[in-house]
Order: sequence, then structure tokens, then C-alpha cells
Amino acid sequence: PFFVNRGGLPVDEPTWERMWRHVSRIHPEGERVAQRIRGAADLPKIPIPSVPVFQPSTPVPERLEAVQRYIRELQYNHTGTQFFEIKKSRPLTGLMDLAKEMTKEALPIKCLEAVILGIYLTNNMTTLDRFPISFKTHFSGNYFRHIVLGVNFGGRYGALGISRREELMYKAPVFRTLSELIFDFEEAYRRCWHTLKKVKLGHCVSHDPHSVEQIEWKHSILDLDKLTREDFRKELERHARDMRLKIGKGTGPPSPTKDRKKDVSSPQRGQASPHRRNSRGDRRPSAEKKPADSKAMPDLNGYQIRV
Amino acid sequence: MEPSAAGRKERAKPREPAARLEKAKQKSAQQELKQRQRAEIYALNRVMTELEQQQFDSFCKQMQASGE
Repeated sequence: PFFVNRGGLPVDEPTWERMWRHVSRIHPEGERVAQRIRGAADLPKIPIPSVPVFQPSTPVPERLEAVQRYIRELQYNHTGTQFFEIKKSRPLTGLMDLAKEMTKEALPIKCLEAVILGIYLTNNMTTLDRFPISFKTHFSGNYFRHIVLGVNFGGRYGALGISRREELMYKAPVFRTLSELIFDFEEAYRRCWHTLKKVKLGHCVSHDPHSVEQIEWKHSILDLDKLTREDFRKELERHARDMRLKIGKGTGPPSPTKDRKKDVSSPQRGQASPHRRNSRGDRRPSAEKKPADSKAMPDLNGYQIRV
Repeated sequence: MEPSAAGRKERAKPREPAARLEKAKQKSAQQELKQRQRAEIYALNRVMTELEQQQFDSFCKQMQASGE
């Protein structure tokens, strides 16, 4: 199960109790975990990490490292309860308010929260393009979803994010093409026995924290079961070209903001390729199980390598 | 000002500091609760992170032993 705290902070009692019940169910020591921690007088004091601040002369790659260190310092959330509710359809301004709250409350986060935080912490890096990259993978009869924030600086691609697996989050902006970056993720997945099934690539996110635009999460949807290797690579490069075209032409009016609602009009797509979908669409629910693979995985009490 | 309105105004005044004090107390209590929850969350996260790592390591060893 996947629990989300929808009541803000502090966590309300029902959500809090649900978190501890879940932990008691899944941890081998059961309720003893909660008994040791709840109400304990000697819990370590966890300092609130400082949001990175940069001199104007700090190079962007160095800033990205600092942003990634900050995200890492919050820690990956293994509690089973996500503490910040993220509605992907919210306007960017609302998501940036949430990101600011994340920095104030400083709690463990998961991948989607890290993407929102990454956008917030890089808004002032106007020469850095940011775009979401979503992965759908298959492991031992189940599908898994993960997301990172792709970045492009000076034509070099990288990523920010957080994951249970070290290789599925930060990538320094050294990849010459978007394909190289995605193939690197694919290989990282392979090393933890996940098979990459689908990649969804969003468009570049506005740097205006007050924009009322929505993040475009899936400008390109690439189904690896339906593409040859070469076609996959071509589609990735097509997406990269779309991003370059949209940025280069500066298409559309300025991002609509809260203060300019009277001038709101839909951002133009310009010369970019139309929304591309390379499969008939994935109608499978996220928890769908496939029949057991012919290559059986060792059973560690049903342990699933999540990412 | 009419006498009745002046009376209402006089009666309202003492409540304001009390209301503000109450609000400040609530805010302080909320802040304390948040701090307490944060400490417990991170203590819990440490335990669950260790569990995940142990399970992952065991799984990897099994995979290597079985020659994949």
C-alpha cells in the first residue's frame, strides 16, 4: 500500500496512527519498532538542512551538486507514508509553494517530491533547462514507477532526484545526448534486475515560480515493447529537439502569472512536434501483476526491489 | 459615540489579548508537535532504511549465489 498524508503538518492523528500500524505490519519486529520510538525521550535531534545559496560566480554544475546534496540530506522516505501531497495538475506556483514548505518542514521525501524540490531549487539557474523523466519498469511480476528531474546545461544532460537506489537519481550533466542519459538509467535498472518498459518525458519547466502553467509531464510517451532500439533512440532525440525548438524560439507569450491573469492565453506549441504517443496507451493499473516470469527470482519473503 | 456602542467597545477590549494569547499558545503547541513528529519520523526512517538495505543485500547475495 501507498499512504499519503493529505492533512498537512503536523500530521493528524488518524494518519499518524496509520503510519505506525503500517510499520508494525511490515517490519519483522512488529510493534516493538513503534514502542521503542514513540514517546522516547532520547531521540536524536536532526538539524534542518540549509537550503543551498550560491554566489553568482558559482558554476551551474557545482550548484547542481549542492542541490543534490541538499535533497539527499532530507533522506529517502522509507516510512511508507508520504508526508507532502503532490497533485501533478496543480499550477506551478502552487507546487513551488509546496516546495518552500518542504524546505521549512524538512522531512524525508520520495521521488516526486524531489522533482518538485529540484525545480524550486533551480529556478534561479536560467541557463539550466529542467524537464521531468518518468520510468515504468517491471520486476518479478510487478510494475514500478519512478521519476527524476532531467536537466540540460550547455547541451549536456543530467538528472536530479532521489531514489532507494543510488544509480537511479543524480546524474552529473555530462551526457552528450538525451539518449545517452536514458540508456544510462536503463542500464542502472538492469543492474537491479528491473526491465525498463516505458519512459515518459515532459517538456521544459518554466523558471518563473509564480507561473500558473501546469507542468507538462508526458509530452512524449515511449513504450519500449513497441519500439526498436533505434526507434527508441530516435524518439528520445526527437524529444530533445522539441525541447530545443521550444526554448530557441521562445514560443508563446510570457508565462502567465498570478499578477497577469488578464493576459492569460494558452502557450503556443510553435513548431514543436505534436504530442507523441508511441503505444496504444497503457491501460494497466499501476499495481497490475503479470503472470510469473519464466526466469524465477529468489523469494525473500516476497521482497521486491523497489526503486 | 452612543452609550451602548461605547459599552460594547469597552467590553470587547479585554478579550483581544486573551484571544491572541490563546492563539499564540496553540501555535506554540503545534510547533512542538511538529518538532516531536519530525524527530520520530527520522528515527523511524532510520530503522526502515536499515531494513530495506538488509533485504536488498540479502537479495543480491541470493541472486549472485543462484548465478542469476
